[in-house]
Amino acid sequence: MSWAAHPAEDAHVVRLSLAESERFSAIFDTYFGEIHRYVAQRLGADAAEDIVAETFLTAFRKRAQYDPSRAGVRAWLYGIATNLIGRHRRVEVRTLRALGRHGPDPDTPGHEEHVAVRVSAESLRPSLAAALAGLHQRDRDVLLLVALAGLSHEEVATALGIPYGTVGSRLNRARRKLRATLGETNPMLESEEADRG
Amino acid sequence: MDELKTVRELYGEPRLDPLLKARVRGLLTDEPRRRRWRLSWTAAVAGLAAAAVAVAVAVAVPGMTGEAGAPNRVATISGRSVLLAAATTAESDPAAANAYWRVRKLHRRTYPERLGRGANRYWVVESRLTEQWVARDGRVWSASRALGARPGSAADEEAWRRDGSPTEWSSQGEVLSTSPEKGELRAIAGKVPFSMAGHEMTFEQLQRLPVAPAALKEWVTEAVSDVPAGTVDGVVADALSGLLWSKPSPPDVRAAAYRALAELPNIRYLGSATDERGRAGAGFSFTVQPPGARNGAAVRRTLIIDPDSSQVLSSTVTGPPGVKGDQVELVLEAGWTDDRPAVPELP
Repeated sequence: MSWAAHPAEDAHVVRLSLAESERFSAIFDTYFGEIHRYVAQRLGADAAEDIVAETFLTAFRKRAQYDPSRAGVRAWLYGIATNLIGRHRRVEVRTLRALGRHGPDPDTPGHEEHVAVRVSAESLRPSLAAALAGLHQRDRDVLLLVALAGLSHEEVATALGIPYGTVGSRLNRARRKLRATLGETNPMLESEEADRG
Repeated sequence: MDELKTVRELYGEPRLDPLLKARVRGLLTDEPRRRRWRLSWTAAVAGLAAAAVAVAVAVAVPGMTGEAGAPNRVATISGRSVLLAAATTAESDPAAANAYWRVRKLHRRTYPERLGRGANRYWVVESRLTEQWVARDGRVWSASRALGARPGSAADEEAWRRDGSPTEWSSQGEVLSTSPEKGELRAIAGKVPFSMAGHEMTFEQLQRLPVAPAALKEWVTEAVSDVPAGTVDGVVADALSGLLWSKPSPPDVRAAAYRALAELPNIRYLGSATDERGRAGAGFSFTVQPPGARNGAAVRRTLIIDPDSSQVLSSTVTGPPGVKGDQVELVLEAGWTDDRPAVPELP
């Protein structure tokens, strides 16, 4: 993956694509895989196709408004995808319920392809999924942009258009709730986080 | 405890449909002419492509080469009469008398990206054996076993050797290996097991489909009524043909599907044909136009059927443009059995 190495180049490509729209396909090629992975994780593979297509479509339509000084292309795309996911709260809750029941490999005949990572503690799965489903959407967005997409606090702030400090407080609240569910509190984690900001 | 790690493990890695990217790119490219996003229609295309394409893989079996092309065309006979003859045969099939309906398929596909390092890039062909089992009460099991990947053509094999003859590749979160897997069998729970043109379908719904050809066609057309004008014919043909071979349709529904297909104007007859295992039958094909795609960006499905048994022998999906190689599925066995669900033996 080359995105990490060339954030400035990507921003340049978005600008060039204003005049030559076919250049946008380079952005698509670079980020399709990880955006799809993120959306499929949150909404399931079946719903993901449409949402991912819509993400790139929205990005393409709004490329004139993209401001490279505020967000990297990657964070920008995750922000668009997260907003679209937010319109499908019921699908997300259903997906979480299925994850809680069956784990991360929803199988259907004709869909045998998958790479599944097993949850180490099988018994935690249903309560963890329920706890995630019970989070406020805005807290879950922050949590999953960090946990699944690996965005930094700064990237999350630009992706969602929220203040930097808000990212930390939402993340802390989400983690605290999950920890309570998992029946374990570790005061060290809280202080560590305060340092990280 | 690191709850972020626990969250990641809960979500796991979503399954990857290797053709999805090409499909979505096609939609994006044609965006200016599209007024709005058609959610259910793209799902229908996903179902179409997924049914034949997503799982489609390759086979390390004698007689099946990586680059085998379209079915071998031998002679021309009246195609419509072939479908009607198959209908008659299908009708006389015994109703379910055994414990399970089973379909065992061999899949072949070319991995959508070239693999290898540096200057040594090559296409790799994957093969997979799958089995689906459906009990009469509607319970479903799915078994799958990769048979191993290998370079496609002789030139690909050359490049593979120069690359150091690797026996494993990792690409986009998928791992490919030249060795067969042990395979796995799993019960499908909590998910509707079948779909028709992107619409979920239960075992019970399948058993209750109309058995008159016109009524069945009407039912299917109604089910796919959300597709854009101009694409309906292809989707209806695909949905009807799906009843013949990828689902445990009752004999009279299969007969009706054959008869309904015989009346469709967009079915192209290819005459006598043999599948990649050398089994003789008759070929026919139709195209399905993805939404908003340019002419020629369609997916073509070619089916070879055996009119004497009414079984579909093979399905070959070609396209959309940009996808390397055909997606071939060979039906090795389909019908009712008392064998119990198990991981498939190596062929």
